[in-house]
Amino acid sequence: MVITTDCLLAAPIVTTLAAVPPGLDLEASFEAAFQGFGLSPGAAHLLWLPLPMLLVLVAAVVGVLVNVWLERKISAAVQQRIGPEYAGALGVLQPIADGLKLLFKEDVIPARADGLLFTLGPVLVLIPVILSWLVVPFGQHLLISNVGIGIFLWISLSSIQPIGLLMSGYASNNKYSLLGGLRAAAQSISYEIPLALAVLAVVMMSNSLSTVDIVNQQSGAGILSWNIWRQPVGFVIFWICALAECERLPFDLPEAEEELVAGYQTEYSGMKFALFYLGSYINLVLSALLVSVLYLGGWGFPLPVEWLAGWLHQPIDAPLVQLITASVGIVMTVLKAYLLVFLAILLRWTTPRVRIDQLLDLGWKFLLPIALVNLLVTAALKLAFPAVFGG
Amino acid sequence: MTIASFTQLICFSILSITLVLGALGVVLLPNIVYSAFLLGGVFLSVAGLYLLLNASFVAAAQVLVYVGAVNVLILFAIMLVNKKENLAAVPGLPLRRVLSGLVCGGLLALLIRVAFTTPWALPGPSPVGEEATIRIGEHLFSDYLLPFELASVLLLMAMIGAIVLARRDVFSSDIVTGAPVDQGLIEKARTPLLVQNPVQEPVR
Amino acid sequence: MPTLLADLGGAGLGMPSMGDLSLQLNAGAIAPEVAVLLALLISLLVDLAGEKAASRWVPPICYGGLGAALVLLALQWNSPLAPSFFGGFLADNLAVAFRAVVAASTLITLLLSWRYVERSGTPVGEYAAILLAATVGAMILCGSTDLVSIFISLETLSVSSYLLAGYMKRDARSSEAALKYLLVGSAAAAVFLYGASLLYGITGGATDLASIAVALQTSAKPVAALSLVFVLATVAFKIAAVPFHQWTPDVYEGSPTPVVAFLSVGSKAAGFALALRILVGCFESFNEQWKLLFTVLALLSMVLGNVVALAQTSMKRMLAYSSIGQAGFVMIGMVCGTEDGFAAMVLYMASYLFMNLGAFACIILFSLRTGSDRIADYAGLYQKDPLITLGLSLCLLSLGGIPPMLGFFGKIYLFFAGWADHQYLLVVVGLITSVVSIYYYISVIKMMVVKEPQEASDVVKEYPAITWNLAGMPSLRAALVGCVLVTAVGGILSNPLFMWASSTVAGTPILQQAIAASGGGAAALG
Repeated sequence: MVITTDCLLAAPIVTTLAAVPPGLDLEASFEAAFQGFGLSPGAAHLLWLPLPMLLVLVAAVVGVLVNVWLERKISAAVQQRIGPEYAGALGVLQPIADGLKLLFKEDVIPARADGLLFTLGPVLVLIPVILSWLVVPFGQHLLISNVGIGIFLWISLSSIQPIGLLMSGYASNNKYSLLGGLRAAAQSISYEIPLALAVLAVVMMSNSLSTVDIVNQQSGAGILSWNIWRQPVGFVIFWICALAECERLPFDLPEAEEELVAGYQTEYSGMKFALFYLGSYINLVLSALLVSVLYLGGWGFPLPVEWLAGWLHQPIDAPLVQLITASVGIVMTVLKAYLLVFLAILLRWTTPRVRIDQLLDLGWKFLLPIALVNLLVTAALKLAFPAVFGG
Repeated sequence: MTIASFTQLICFSILSITLVLGALGVVLLPNIVYSAFLLGGVFLSVAGLYLLLNASFVAAAQVLVYVGAVNVLILFAIMLVNKKENLAAVPGLPLRRVLSGLVCGGLLALLIRVAFTTPWALPGPSPVGEEATIRIGEHLFSDYLLPFELASVLLLMAMIGAIVLARRDVFSSDIVTGAPVDQGLIEKARTPLLVQNPVQEPVR
Repeated sequence: MPTLLADLGGAGLGMPSMGDLSLQLNAGAIAPEVAVLLALLISLLVDLAGEKAASRWVPPICYGGLGAALVLLALQWNSPLAPSFFGGFLADNLAVAFRAVVAASTLITLLLSWRYVERSGTPVGEYAAILLAATVGAMILCGSTDLVSIFISLETLSVSSYLLAGYMKRDARSSEAALKYLLVGSAAAAVFLYGASLLYGITGGATDLASIAVALQTSAKPVAALSLVFVLATVAFKIAAVPFHQWTPDVYEGSPTPVVAFLSVGSKAAGFALALRILVGCFESFNEQWKLLFTVLALLSMVLGNVVALAQTSMKRMLAYSSIGQAGFVMIGMVCGTEDGFAAMVLYMASYLFMNLGAFACIILFSLRTGSDRIADYAGLYQKDPLITLGLSLCLLSLGGIPPMLGFFGKIYLFFAGWADHQYLLVVVGLITSVVSIYYYISVIKMMVVKEPQEASDVVKEYPAITWNLAGMPSLRAALVGCVLVTAVGGILSNPLFMWASSTVAGTPILQQAIAASGGGAAALG
């Protein structure tokens, strides 16, 4: 990734209906500031490199903490309980307490388990998820790496996860774990295909795999130009598949408590369990972020910021306007993502779990053909109405 | 040496070492599950090498296809049939191992010698970096159109064939005459090389 | 390819416009394959309607597709040459001739198959579809002039062949055959890919055979020789030349018999077309090396194939070894590299198509009626079933090269070409092994004809009454009679075949170049 950041796409093919605001370029200003202190450009760049990664790591972990709190509170509200209330105001410190508990728990490795694979499994589950945050944009320049293959990188990274699940399922030396691991892998590869096809339809409209270009293509007329209006079927397919990939209810078969104890996590405790826990919640937030990028206009405000600036007679390039635009962008992205997370939590308490055969039937016999038809229809519409569907 | 090229060298060394050791492990380890997991590592290292060569699309495709599909399917197959079986000992196994080791070693020496004595002077097409995706698309729909379309026939046939081989329904009677079917149309007298009706093992 | 790269690169995104592109692609060259592909897709769709409908409608669909392919191929004969798909495919006369052999072998195989497939309780539609896919792969392989096209078409042919070999899944030997074929075939494909990657490296990023041929003339010897060995190994695997033949007996024995008929003719013809394209067309600067290797392979194949065939008790296994020997004979024509050599090769492939498929038709019919495949069980057959006896006798005599059968003229032409090119060792070994092959072919005929009624085998004593009224039997009879007729009478009327074979060579630029090169070399020597 270090290398690819250097060679950003020189001239991305941007098909937008309006001019794209330059936005904030934190990297450039940071490096300029340090070169002002007398550092060489290379050294300034080297200083900059770890910062976004750290930031993303922190953002991901904080996102999980918020997510856990939301999950507890919303679940409680759905069931007409109160939920956590003593750890901090409204129980906001509860996730931290949870985390600390897991951190200090004994790390048990079952006697006849395969120690090496047992340890490596959770790591392999977590790392690809965190790496995928590389391509999530919070603004025109507010992402770690605008690689040209953007969204494709996420799809391919998320395909590593099943290996980790199979690994931990196998290494636990426990039939529930093995079954859970196998189920997780089967589910993951089955839903990857309609998911990729749904993404492909969006990519076809934006003529680019880059997440930034995908958002820019939706930024013409505010909420009206969001992809959800042009890709309603794709949106539903993507959301279902994303839930399945995250193993959220109604697709949480790999850890179905009534059948498999806790699936591949059965034998895990302490920090290794925490890694799974972290991984699944980061993945949920990530999926929600990507849904908002692909279908809900990413960092775009429902009304285009340029229009607002125009009404207020402010030049769009002014530093203050840029700062506000960037902040609005971040807030909008996060807001949309957490709206989707809220939806996922509600789904958790309102839908029953599907059986494994129903799950595979849904994936292969329903979603896959629909996704293919959606792709074909998108291609046809693109040929027929190039102005609206990205010529 | 600039920072970038130094980083590149380090990355290349790490990836190559992982690749070679992983590949050796795939072949030599007695535990087939370890071999399968190491194969995933090998695929990932190859993807890393593609990334170093600035071919990010190929790298992502490598991860998606080989790690995400091929390797997962291999693991699946192994874990679904991971039954301990006592196979008959192959006579002269050590000798066979030594012989195949010698052949492989000889081939390796030959390849290394050839690789080092050949002047690989031709530069080849210049790397296009991020434009590779577009370039690949152009090629697939112009000069590589025939193999690209033929690959779809290949995949369709592989899929149909897998279904045909995997499903259980062999008709029990000839649909024209109604006579019972017979798949051993060929030379009944000879005992098959594979055991046709395995002896029922006692339930453990 | 470099020029095209420059075109594409220079214009950036500037792709040629739609009409332009289809004109440059010259996609009409693969019209025969498209016809076969359409038949494949339609039979798959028909198969969805149920087994009854499939067994009613799939045969005519397949005949239609393959017949259309043959007609389209005839239209391509001697048509002006233009590379298709920017150099990925070339429909010269060599390609047309070998594609016709492949398509005809599939057509005859299908005629033989219907009864056998239904009798074994396996679905007809999928069987036809997989066989047609193998045909598409083999046909495209015959005309491919690009490493990528070659590899993909080779894999299409191979994967379909593995599936066909394992089609009788209740029979353990069929599964065993499929597994062995898959493992050995994948290894061969890997070796081919390694060789192809070396070629790609030598040329600096070209995959079409013409550019590779140019680059090979100036490239470093060791690496080119290494890639030659790797590519040659794959070719030898496909045509089952010794020592790359080990898969053949097991696969031939375990696979369904009609599939063996296809593998021994169609798949082998595609292998020879590939050999001509790569070795003659691409490695012409390594003429001596590959001819030496091929001489060794031919000698080994002829000797081992024909000698081991003597000891076989199973009919299919015997034909498997005999087909290895026959491949050795054909390789003589390739080693010559003269006009007569290539023409003899094409002629022999065409005659081999009829005589071998005729023999297989008889074996299939016999195993359908008796369920046996042992040579001993054929004892005294002439009293119960004269048709099989006559057909099998004529085809085996032709395979052995007894005049006035078709095989005699093919073989004699090959040996003449070899003798004229001073390949004395090859021709002498060919003659001796021919005599050996005549011995084991005749011993089968003796078994069928000479035995007294009381000496007939148990199987023959209980021979069922001969009926032709079941679905699939008339087509089997038609194929049998047709093949036997061509084998028997074709020898007398072989002149059109000679003309056809010569004009195949005349209409193929790569062969003409090779002939000119070797003629020039001979002149220089003389």
